[in-house]
Amino acid sequence: MWLQRRQADEEGMSDVNMTPLIDVSLVLVVILLLATPLAFESSFGVRKATSSARQASSETEAPFIEVTILSEDEVQVNREVVSRPTLARVLRPLLASSQTRQVSVKCQDEVSHGAFVEVLDITKLCGAKEIAVAGR
Amino acid sequence: MRPPMIRNNPMCTRINVTPIIDVALVLVIILLITAPMLTVADLDVDLPAAHSRDIEDQGYISLTVSKWGEIAVDEKIVPTVDSVREYLVARMNQDDQKDALVVVRADAGLPHALVRKVLEEARASGAARLAIATRQGGE
Repeated sequence: MWLQRRQADEEGMSDVNMTPLIDVSLVLVVILLLATPLAFESSFGVRKATSSARQASSETEAPFIEVTILSEDEVQVNREVVSRPTLARVLRPLLASSQTRQVSVKCQDEVSHGAFVEVLDITKLCGAKEIAVAGR
Repeated sequence: MRPPMIRNNPMCTRINVTPIIDVALVLVIILLITAPMLTVADLDVDLPAAHSRDIEDQGYISLTVSKWGEIAVDEKIVPTVDSVREYLVARMNQDDQKDALVVVRADAGLPHALVRKVLEEARASGAARLAIATRQGGE
């Protein structure tokens, strides 16, 4: 009987110890869960619109497209006021015909940052090469 | 005859330290890798969603503006918006990061006036490159 038990103990030793593997896997899962929101962050570059660039745009038939966000739903492109859903339709041909593909974006104080970024995103997706954020 | 129980399995009295060493080493490696990513303030920020992306710098200075208007340069909370310049200059001089990308992580619900003021302060502090942080994908 004693011999049988001894044999059973020795057989048990041949099993693979899964504990370290499970420990490491669980730690990895927890850290990935914590780091995921940071991994999905992105950004796009902006530069400040200079007054000389804007002056040049008015003199040379606007190679610099001016976008002004009037409210959460209304955007002015050069002199034309459009709604935000139709902005891409207006902006795409303008950018296609522009040589510099530079856009100056101006935003009213009370407009939310979310709406501002959405307009920047549409502008980028329409093919803007450089976006300048105009001051007050 | 009954076998002596203690003499047969003397190893059972030792603590198995292998799992704890494994976990500790994995934690060290992961902390080394993620340390540069975690230099952002723990503030409540709901970033605006966007589809486009064009800046992928690994090392950058983050300028966080929470939904309650609290501002932080990396992980340091800034008392007022007017102090942003002072903190940012100190941060840029700290590791000689004069041409580092400054990423403004502002909440989507904030009024644009505050975000523009932060952008202006960042520009005034000598930041050569500015970017606006977004949440990738959108709805």
